[in-house]
Amino acid sequence: MTSDYSSDQAIVRLDGVHKSYGDPVALNGVSLGIRAGEAVAVMGPSGCGKSTLLNMIAGLDRPTSGTVTVHGEDLGELNETGLALFRRRRIGMIFQFFNLVDDLPALDNVALAAQLTGAPTSQARKRALELLDELGVAEQRDSYPATLSGGQRQRVAVARALMNRPVLLLADEPTGALDSRSGEQVMDLLIDLNQMGQTLLMVTHDPRLARRCASRLIEFADGRVVRESTLERAA
Amino acid sequence: MSAVWRASRAAVRRRKLQTTIIGVVVLLSTATITIALALLAAAAAPFDDAFSQQSGAHVVATFDSSKVSDVRLAQTAHRQGVRAAAGPFGEAVVVVPDGTPGIAAGPLTVVGRSGSDSPVDHLNLWAGRWPTGPGEIVLNSRPSGRGASFPPEFMVPLPGGSKLRVVGFASSVSQSAGAWVTPDQLAGLHPQSVQMLYRFADPGTDQSISAGLATATAGLPSDALTGSQSYLALKKAVAGQTDAYVPFLMTFGVLGLVVAVLIVANVVSGAVVSGFRHIGVLKALGFTPNQVAAVYVLMISVPAVVGCLIGIVLGNVLARPLLFGVFQGLGVESVSVSLWVDVVALLGMPAVVALAALGPAMRAHRLSAAEAISAGGAPRVGRALGVQRRLGATRLPRSVSLGLGLPFARPARTVLTMAAIVLGVAAVALASGLTSTMTAYGNAEELNGAYQVEVTVGGHRPDRPAPTLSDTDTQALLRSLGAVRVTADAWQNVKFTGSTQGLNGQFLRGDSASLNYTMVKGHWLDGPGQLVVSGAFLRQRGLAVGDQVRLDLGAKEVPVTIVGQLMAYDPDGVLSNWDTLMELAPGQRASHYMVQLAPGADADAFVTAFQKASGPGLYPAKHANELNQATLTIVSFATLFTLMLAAVAALGVFNTVVLTTHERRRNLGMLKSIGMTPRQVTVMMVTSMAALGAVGGLIGLPLGVLAHRLVVPAMVRAAGIDLPASMLHVWHAPLLALLAFAGLVIAILGALIPARSAARLTIAQVLHNE
Ligand SMILES: Nc1ncnc2c1ncn2[C@@H]1O[C@H](COP(=O)(O)OP(=O)(O)O)[C@@H](O)[C@H]1O
Ligand SMILES: [Mg+2]
Repeated sequence: MTSDYSSDQAIVRLDGVHKSYGDPVALNGVSLGIRAGEAVAVMGPSGCGKSTLLNMIAGLDRPTSGTVTVHGEDLGELNETGLALFRRRRIGMIFQFFNLVDDLPALDNVALAAQLTGAPTSQARKRALELLDELGVAEQRDSYPATLSGGQRQRVAVARALMNRPVLLLADEPTGALDSRSGEQVMDLLIDLNQMGQTLLMVTHDPRLARRCASRLIEFADGRVVRESTLERAA
Repeated sequence: MSAVWRASRAAVRRRKLQTTIIGVVVLLSTATITIALALLAAAAAPFDDAFSQQSGAHVVATFDSSKVSDVRLAQTAHRQGVRAAAGPFGEAVVVVPDGTPGIAAGPLTVVGRSGSDSPVDHLNLWAGRWPTGPGEIVLNSRPSGRGASFPPEFMVPLPGGSKLRVVGFASSVSQSAGAWVTPDQLAGLHPQSVQMLYRFADPGTDQSISAGLATATAGLPSDALTGSQSYLALKKAVAGQTDAYVPFLMTFGVLGLVVAVLIVANVVSGAVVSGFRHIGVLKALGFTPNQVAAVYVLMISVPAVVGCLIGIVLGNVLARPLLFGVFQGLGVESVSVSLWVDVVALLGMPAVVALAALGPAMRAHRLSAAEAISAGGAPRVGRALGVQRRLGATRLPRSVSLGLGLPFARPARTVLTMAAIVLGVAAVALASGLTSTMTAYGNAEELNGAYQVEVTVGGHRPDRPAPTLSDTDTQALLRSLGAVRVTADAWQNVKFTGSTQGLNGQFLRGDSASLNYTMVKGHWLDGPGQLVVSGAFLRQRGLAVGDQVRLDLGAKEVPVTIVGQLMAYDPDGVLSNWDTLMELAPGQRASHYMVQLAPGADADAFVTAFQKASGPGLYPAKHANELNQATLTIVSFATLFTLMLAAVAALGVFNTVVLTTHERRRNLGMLKSIGMTPRQVTVMMVTSMAALGAVGGLIGLPLGVLAHRLVVPAMVRAAGIDLPASMLHVWHAPLLALLAFAGLVIAILGALIPARSAARLTIAQVLHNE
């Protein structure tokens, strides 16, 4: 780990983070940093703790020991409500599955993120529509998740993650459930976002995709960082 | 079978929460139903039991001994239709003077019998012994604690100065006499009547009883039969007190049963739906559809049986004080819960639960393994879609509008949950209405507020000496101490000419209209020779307002007119003016004074001042505004049942929120990942149920009002009371407004705990387990 990442340019900093669920140790002393504007890919075998890492950074779970600081906030000092407000303002998340509320159409799914903050519905819908348009799914605004293709669903999910202009976008195997063509389209989307300045941390199984869109690769095994490398982007 | 058993045991263990909910719901419902059935069963029992134990007389017939010989009467025992008979027994009337310790003043019907044993009207000699010679008498009295202080030092004075010593107490379910002596002793009382006690082959109806008596007495001189008393009238008087509870208990019992079925159906179908994956696994393991259905029925039966057993115990424990309260007035020594009630509850409740479980279990039966595994418990979308969308466009906070949309995702569950809330609210409304009506009735019956102090005159019990102050002086003293109005009364047993049944006469002096007795027909006493009685009194005797009767006090008779019908009064009681008493028993003093004080006057101070000035034998007391036992019993049990039903309905809501949380955990996780705060989650879940509660309240309230409109008149009819219509109009705006919120309260109470645990759900956990 280079000294760059412990400096205060870091948007995310983990120091000696351990997380165990009783017997299985998910994270075993992880320290790392992510600077603003970076696109970082995390790779590693299944069960090595990648999702746990993302959950720690999003404040969805708390470390057994160690500290997680995001955008200057020590997450350990926030209560549940504080964490929710933190996620609302700072984090956008995309998962492999289960990204959308089944009984809301695409537009409302995206607007939801702003509405929870108390933003007026008209304003929230307006911005949601702009995002859907930017991501090429404006036509699907009134469709329900069940009627969308996997790729469309994931685009809607990205739109929703971007709704509150997060400082950090977290993606946990965003293409894992997609066919390769849709997967690539979603990846292109993420690359574009990153090039516009969006800080990005994603977990993927596909080394080709990682190489294409990440500027740095972190390899994980058994809850530890085993290798870090800077990448020349392929595209 | 053992595989099924093992699988259901595992299922029970995995679903601790749902198992507990089923258990508690069944427990509370069983307790409610056990109490209701116990009362229903007991309502009929005391009289019937005593009647068959004592071989009660279907008819007690009185004959004029100068018109018909004992031999001819004895022959009537062998007439067709007469199954058994006893008698003839000589009968005389002794007038007990006022102030005789231990014995009510008035006419006492004394019958000569050689023992308490008899094929008809076998007496229950519950204290002391039967008279063995002259000078001894046994009184008719209901069994009570008085037996403990036996022998009493009571004497019945006879005209001419001699006395009869009380040597025992016996009770006659047929009320065939007020006291018994040996036949020899009776001869000394110069009897002019004899009585025959009959049991008939066909005692079913008033008509068959009259027919039986006509056959038995056919051929006797036409004016020989001077009076007769049917057991049906006695039975009606006894049952009237308990029958009043039946409509009330039936309503709550049925409500309890329906709510239990609804909740159990909801809980079970929820368990099946959320157990889809589990069903898939069972089927994949090779369980046949029947075995899968059996697993689910068994899984429900275990908590149902346990809940049922505890519920029966609880019901028995709670029923005892209620039964005691209801039957206290009958002089029954003890009333217990009939065994059949427990048996019915024990077999019935689990059967009902199993039936409720059958539908969802059949669904588990049909589901294919693949279908079940892939269904994964996600709620079907469709109907809900439009609603959620429209809600999203409103100005409501998003957590509220999301919550409002939730019930539409599972319409069947929503309907079941809401139905339970509706019935819970109906129960609350019914209980509130009943309480208002019963309290109004109780206040009117107890003359609450009509007077503040009462003074009882001693001399009727050995421990209470007679007063030294005269009637007039007492009245004057009360006035001098500041009484605004004094109404006095005296109690005197009387009878109607030609009947053996004693009547409790109450004779009022002073401005008796100020006592505010509630009338339902005719008018209050406003002159001499008048009588007011209860509706039950009139019905039992086939009389009506306007009828003329003759009051009989042994030596004297007075003609009187029934001028009014009271809302509530002793079914054997007559109320009349002091003038009437003075004609029957000249010179009798008042035994009780009711004192009205100036508004705001200190009743305690008045009592103390009176005590100081009055000397011995006068017992003043504050007239507390109390409610009678029946009112208290009904009000407290309506409250208890209502709390139970509301708790059960709230448990239904609780279960629904638990299921919804479980099924929607991914959505919840997702909502949290985009920054929904724990409070917003709680608000969303509580709102989803509060909406049901609000609607359920609005539907349940009119149902409760309707039930009140049906139950109260039925109770009133059964009790033989006449309720003024005003006491049914209890639904005032503030009460209605308050009750409309009952559904909301039930829903919020039920939803709060599981909503908060949904708020605390760790998202990482949810995501990991998927
Ligand atoms: N909520 C949880 N409860 C128990 N164990 C968990 C939980 N989350 C993760 N684990 C365990 O922690 C380890 C790492 O899991 P995870 O971070 O999901 O791995 P990856 O995403 O790399 O496949 C695994 O052994 C997993 O079983
Ligand atoms: Mg993972």
